[in-house]
Amino acid sequence: MATVHPSSSPLPGGERVGVRGGFHPDVAPRPRAALEVTLRRLLGPDYRMGFLFVAPIVVLVLALVAYPFCYAVYLSMTRKYVGMAPVWVGLENYVRLTYDGFFQRAVVNSFTFTFASVAIKTVLGMGMALVLTSKIRFRSFWTGVLLIPWVAPTVVSALNFLWIYDYSLGVLNYLLVHVFGVLSHGVGWLSEPGTAMSSVIGVNVWRGFPFFGISFLAGMKAIPGELYEAAAVDGATVVQRFRHVTLPGIRNIVMIVLLLSTIWTFNDFAIIYILTKGGPGGATMVLPVLTYEIAFGAQRLGEAIAVALYMLPPLAFVIIVLSNYMRKGRTR
Amino acid sequence: MIVRKGRSTVQIERTQSAVSYAILITFVLFVVFPFYWMIVTSFKGESQMRSVVSMFWPSPFVAENYEHLFKKTEFVSWFGNSIIVAVSSTFLATAVGTLGAYALARLKFLGRAFMASTVLITYLVPPSILFIPLYAQIRNLGLADSLTGLIAAYPSFTVPFVTWLLMGYFESIPVELEESAMIDGATRFGAFRRVILPLAAPGLLASALYAFTQAWNEFLYALVFITNVKLRTLPVGLSTFITGDVYGWGYLMAGAVLTTLPVIAAYIYLQKYMVEGLTAGSVKG
Repeated sequence: MATVHPSSSPLPGGERVGVRGGFHPDVAPRPRAALEVTLRRLLGPDYRMGFLFVAPIVVLVLALVAYPFCYAVYLSMTRKYVGMAPVWVGLENYVRLTYDGFFQRAVVNSFTFTFASVAIKTVLGMGMALVLTSKIRFRSFWTGVLLIPWVAPTVVSALNFLWIYDYSLGVLNYLLVHVFGVLSHGVGWLSEPGTAMSSVIGVNVWRGFPFFGISFLAGMKAIPGELYEAAAVDGATVVQRFRHVTLPGIRNIVMIVLLLSTIWTFNDFAIIYILTKGGPGGATMVLPVLTYEIAFGAQRLGEAIAVALYMLPPLAFVIIVLSNYMRKGRTR
Repeated sequence: MIVRKGRSTVQIERTQSAVSYAILITFVLFVVFPFYWMIVTSFKGESQMRSVVSMFWPSPFVAENYEHLFKKTEFVSWFGNSIIVAVSSTFLATAVGTLGAYALARLKFLGRAFMASTVLITYLVPPSILFIPLYAQIRNLGLADSLTGLIAAYPSFTVPFVTWLLMGYFESIPVELEESAMIDGATRFGAFRRVILPLAAPGLLASALYAFTQAWNEFLYALVFITNVKLRTLPVGLSTFITGDVYGWGYLMAGAVLTTLPVIAAYIYLQKYMVEGLTAGSVKG
């Protein structure tokens, strides 16, 4: 982290936390104080409070993320069934998956699901942000309304859409057939391979685009108004202003949101699990759902974790790039 | 936006604002309709559902779905479980996150930069690659099938998020405020407690709400860790209502309404802080 912290001033009061007998700095240093000085030089001036305050996070990260992660890498190289001891098999799980047609299909589906969702969310989010920066009344009210899908529980939204998409009594078919008359008969949105993927993408988009919108909006608000005025004086059209002032101004935020959402969407479990469980016939099977099915349906834990970790290299790459962007955003 | 009051531009502005409102209304309908549909369904009776009359309004309004939910399902227990898990996780995450974020944003000590990076990376690691080993670990500790197990596991995503969000808040508070308090004789801890914490209160509130929402909405861990029907949380409980029969939808939607209410109520009440927190947490530009 390259942040420059103007903290921990050289003020004496700030550095005396918990140091006993530190009231007379001019007195010749006793061994204890000398040790303290050395420790501060080695560990940083605020090391006591710093270590104390960060200790709970260190414990939690080690116990809940670092250790499970390492254990996952180990388990993915074993044959492990629920309730039985793991047997070391090396990279066998990964090799087998590479040639497994069902797994390959899940990989393709995951990428389709992710890229389509993120692309549509970007477009809709941009639209939302532009509408909310234009001259409309009750702007903060509308902002609040449009953000609701992002706050509502994912499972509830997935269940809502399961009901909306219902073949016989769902309101979507009712609207299309009876209200608008676009279709002559209803569509099994989630039960037909041709529409299932688009339908689950629709739900992910519905839930996720407000986050894009609100983030782009924050970025647009930070662009100085003078830039637009100057562009207008130079005779720039609305489109030109968007391309040459707005877009460059929010480029960093767009990158962060795109990458963040790519990670989230790629690992979205609840929406697809509730809507289709990966069906029909694997048409919407994505890696997180496949991981769950192999682990708790087939009880083959080692193989399941290999499914989850198979995409680790690209995921790690995205995480590293993204965390650099996010830290840059902070220090600016 | 720029305001230019030329005679020719008035026309353009009118057109622009008409287009803006048209797009806005489309967005609002798209966003609101599923919620409208959920609420309407929850008040429809079984006979109305089967006969497809008055599709978009309950006729008559009935409370039978809610009665069914309270009397014939474990919904009330699930609601209680969700409250227990979400509230405990929120307290834990906010306490741990506040201390950690302050240290990582303000104090100088060995390993600070490394920990700050670790927190961010941990926040980005998705639960879908952690849930199996976490489940194994929770089981080994004898916490499988208990709310304690969920409370123990949820900090894996609430704490990094809260810490990251609050680091931004603490960094935005001028360091001079602390310094002047310490010149006046306060210790660093005293300055933290009496000067910084009150100033960061909106941030604390926003991050607490986010921690609560995340824990309240969490599905995967709760689905995997809990097998006892009575110990389910709301998202998992609701998902077991999917029966394929028409009748199930009424009380399923009633449950969905009641599950959404707490987070939406909190959100409406504290919208300002939450929107601020949301943008500060992920994208601060």
